[in-house]
Amino acid sequence: MDEFTPPPPDLAASPPPPPPAAISGSPTDFLKGVVGKKVIVRLTSGVDYRGVLSCLDGYMNIAMEQTAEYVNGVVTNQYGDAFIRGNNVLYISADEPL
Amino acid sequence: MDSSSSGIQEPFDLIRLSLSERVFVKLRGDRELTGVLHAYDGHMNLILSDVEETIMIVEPIEGALEGQGSVKVAKRKMEMLFVRGDGVILVSPPSRT
Repeated sequence: MDEFTPPPPDLAASPPPPPPAAISGSPTDFLKGVVGKKVIVRLTSGVDYRGVLSCLDGYMNIAMEQTAEYVNGVVTNQYGDAFIRGNNVLYISADEPL
Repeated sequence: MDSSSSGIQEPFDLIRLSLSERVFVKLRGDRELTGVLHAYDGHMNLILSDVEETIMIVEPIEGALEGQGSVKVAKRKMEMLFVRGDGVILVSPPSRT
């Protein structure tokens, strides 16, 4: 008879599910997860470096591979390997799904 | 063990592997260096020999937009150079095969 039965109120009021794993965790977890992945590193000067993140340390010094340097969206240099001194880093952005 | 393609554990390994090699260094103030890396420390203070410095000087043109101008390039050579670490932006070792 009753074709549509709404869910019991207690179920509907259950807490929202936890966020997906990809967006949970600490900044350190993000950095651990992004090692070996393609990233975009932006420096405070506005220059971008796109490449594969080899590793990084507590100063946020960064080693990258297959790196292309972008100034105003134009490739200005390419490096097989690059060390970036951490004090220049503004952010590290994942350039592929984690 | 983290074995990325070059097998380095921390960024300074990249520099250590470049000792006695010719490296490219990008500095603050639109300056670049190439030279043979003799020594470095945790500040990224560097000792380079047989150095060529390239300085990009942007001269604004009257009537042109901000950020547009003619770029002059000045070069000079130095036998031996100490680079203070805080000026370093990027160090790139020679591409190894």
